[in-house]
Amino acid sequence: MLTADLARSRTSDGEVMPLFIDPDDARYRETASELIELFETHVGEPKADLDAVIDQLTVADTDYKIIQGLAKLLRDECDFETVAAAEPREIRQRLFERANDSYPIVRQPTLGEDTQKLDVYTAVADDLGISLAECHQGMYADLDANSRLVRFGDLVAESVELDTNGTSSTTQLTGQSEESYTGKALTVEWLLHRYNLALAQAVLYDATELHIRVWDHFATVFSYVKLFGLMHRIYPIDERGERVSSTDLAAGYEAVLDGPASLFRQSRKYGIRMANFLPALPHCERWDLVADILVNESANETRKLALDQTTGLQTHYSGGSQYDSDLERTLATKWKRANTEWELVREDDVIDLGAEVLLPDFALEHPDGRRAILEIVGFWTPEYLDEKLAKIRRADVENLVLAVSETLDCTSEDIDLGADRVLWFKTGIHVYDVVDLVEEYTVPTSSADSSVGTT
Amino acid sequence: MRVEFDGGTLLLREASEDVPYAEWDDRVEEYRAPAYRYRNVLEWADAWDDDDSTSAVQESAHQETIQSAAVAVEDTARAYPELALDPALQIEPREYQQAALDAWRTHDRRGSVVLPTGSGKTFLGIQAIADAGVATLVVAPTIDLMNQWHATLTNAFGDQLPHQSRDGTGQTVGVLGGGTHEIRPVTVTTYDSAYRYIDEYGDQFGLLIADEIHHLPAPTYRQIPEMAIAPYRLGLTATYERADDAHELLEDTDLVGPVVYEEAVDELAGEYLSEYETIHMQVELTDDERSQYDEEYGLYREYVDTHDFDLWKAEGYQEFLAHTSYDSDGRRALIAKQRAEELARTAAKKLDTLDTLLKRHHDDRAIIFTANNDFAYEISQEFIVPCITHQTKTDERTEILERFRSGEYSMLATSQVLDEGIDVPAANVGIILSGSASKRQYAQRLGRILRPTDERQPARLYEIIATDTMESYVSQRRREGIEAEA
Repeated sequence: MLTADLARSRTSDGEVMPLFIDPDDARYRETASELIELFETHVGEPKADLDAVIDQLTVADTDYKIIQGLAKLLRDECDFETVAAAEPREIRQRLFERANDSYPIVRQPTLGEDTQKLDVYTAVADDLGISLAECHQGMYADLDANSRLVRFGDLVAESVELDTNGTSSTTQLTGQSEESYTGKALTVEWLLHRYNLALAQAVLYDATELHIRVWDHFATVFSYVKLFGLMHRIYPIDERGERVSSTDLAAGYEAVLDGPASLFRQSRKYGIRMANFLPALPHCERWDLVADILVNESANETRKLALDQTTGLQTHYSGGSQYDSDLERTLATKWKRANTEWELVREDDVIDLGAEVLLPDFALEHPDGRRAILEIVGFWTPEYLDEKLAKIRRADVENLVLAVSETLDCTSEDIDLGADRVLWFKTGIHVYDVVDLVEEYTVPTSSADSSVGTT
Repeated sequence: MRVEFDGGTLLLREASEDVPYAEWDDRVEEYRAPAYRYRNVLEWADAWDDDDSTSAVQESAHQETIQSAAVAVEDTARAYPELALDPALQIEPREYQQAALDAWRTHDRRGSVVLPTGSGKTFLGIQAIADAGVATLVVAPTIDLMNQWHATLTNAFGDQLPHQSRDGTGQTVGVLGGGTHEIRPVTVTTYDSAYRYIDEYGDQFGLLIADEIHHLPAPTYRQIPEMAIAPYRLGLTATYERADDAHELLEDTDLVGPVVYEEAVDELAGEYLSEYETIHMQVELTDDERSQYDEEYGLYREYVDTHDFDLWKAEGYQEFLAHTSYDSDGRRALIAKQRAEELARTAAKKLDTLDTLLKRHHDDRAIIFTANNDFAYEISQEFIVPCITHQTKTDERTEILERFRSGEYSMLATSQVLDEGIDVPAANVGIILSGSASKRQYAQRLGRILRPTDERQPARLYEIIATDTMESYVSQRRREGIEAEA
């Protein structure tokens, strides 16, 4: 992400807008391509050398913020490492100790002093069993500027060797390391889109509250809400974005996101989390957001940031697979072969349990209009399960059933397996067990006649 | 009622409706209170035991269920241990320090103490930690001050705190900030880092010490005391009052407490600035440096002259800077100015002069000042002199300063990190290779450091500047500043 000093935005009429760049603009494409090439050619080299050539690009260029911003995003894709023959702090500590008995150590020696410096370096090198050049180079090898670029994207320096004078390096490059790097290729496209996303994220650093509306991909979006530790209030909405009374009528969801202490005061504290969350939204085909941006904390002066799917932001976050686990995939396969009127469908409802949202895995639907919701619980502890069941009771979702694996218990304690609305299973979930349980807890859907009862 | 620490707040599970300081949180359907109300909430429930930190009988209260007549409270919020610490160096507190400590204790170990700079605020902090006997977070405004606290606390408590690793190495005093992230029962941090992480660690400390507490009322930093449960709080400062009266917030809302003790400035002033002799030395740029300098400086001058900025005034310089953001010639001029300054600062012949001075003073205690890190490291490698910069990690810095103090090291190179309020071991020779023009910084910095080692020879300050460069003007202005102040 961008540091605050590299953020670029414009404010007018109480609205703040990131100064997005056009990813098709030849100027930026050229800059991006030039930067990527610089990084590629500096794999294995000291960080200071890389920084110097990047700075050189900005000498007479008022777009330096863009250049440095793009470079920052590329640096985020890099690993830098200290390369030294011995622990640098150990080397210098020994040098200073020895030097203190040998002062003056000077550059223009008078008689009798002319080998002091060399003597100190040599003695310490010998103590540590390294060469004189390695001793000199290693002394401050742990400084940020002296660290080596050892990975850029999937380009990895296989070995960084110090040559005999200890100053420059010979490097072998390899396109693919053994532990395969999973990132995408770092292309001009990727960089410029990532930059636009980062500009929007930089505005969100100062956000106090984030209102989002999404009309698809709920599970993905809310799993990221949870991942980044944001709290929420959720409201079902219709196609036009108006709030509706029940999740059954929902075409989408509106959520207000903030953090624990937001209850007491407006705080920028959670802005970084909101910025982290932003890339989850472009997973949706239709989404929008309005954020309150605190520009002056003392005066409580805020501005609005408004974005939606037309902004063209692209995500780099994983959207998750269609089935979260083998377990779910197996159940879906079994269901197809089974003989029941109940139909197993992927569920996209969001059930608000207060501190978290429940994103059930499946819904079970009967032609007569009855409906139940099934969530498969992975690893669990008795406390976790207790709390979850309590939340479900409190949330009044009568038609929710859980399938819980006996073997995924994270504790070795004996537990009471008698909990309601829970299907215990050992290795796999059996279709007819689910059907039996569902018959017990199902409710008619709101669209169906309420007189339809259970069998 | 179960009290839980939740991201810088207290979640009050199954609390009754009359629980004070709390608001109903419809997101989780429970009452929630700001973390700093921890002690108040327990007091309301009659579950606060004021002796629990000093009593030797009681073990950790963590996870303990306290029964009381009023409300049954399960306190899972408190995650800080008790510590039995004795300052290693048993210095008798000065009278006003003892009075300040007593005043703080009788105010339930809450509140601020106002003492003039240089009167031993850190010493008071150490006494407070020993007195409260609980895990402590010390918050300082800058990395330098954080480092100083680290050094002092390591001296005072280092041997009594558990070591991080079994072989006895590793830090005993934790550091959060400046690239280090180690939480220990006694931890030092900066305001910036504390703000960033307090919602995570606000349950880990029973005593919160805020140095230079006049920074704390800023809206952002105010969230540090808000999000900590610490029942004990101590603010330290020399200048408590803020022009915007925001300090009242600290008192009104119980964030820290009132001023419990104040010592007037003039009663203690004047004892610190020492006499020293200043010697100005000039070096020429080499031919190469001179032609590069003239070229870069010329670029800058030309731009500035054709635009008529009045650079001696702040507005003029702002106007120049504004131009550099949209005019590529202006941008180039700014870079040219920076490059020219850099050339002057790191002129090769300065090292020759330094060379001579090191020969003359190799038996003295010398500190070499540079204005940039690279130059400090170059000197460190060239002359094998220990070196401290902004990049030096806290524990290594503490170690180097300690060795300099003990005499194990007699020389030290540093780049501007020894700013105002920083305890630096005394030296009798200072060598400035380049520095900033701020006169206040300059006087304070040197007055604190330079002391004669014996009575016959005064402490000495050398200033080495490049002739006929921007540096010569800056040096001139600096000296005028000092004389005007004196």
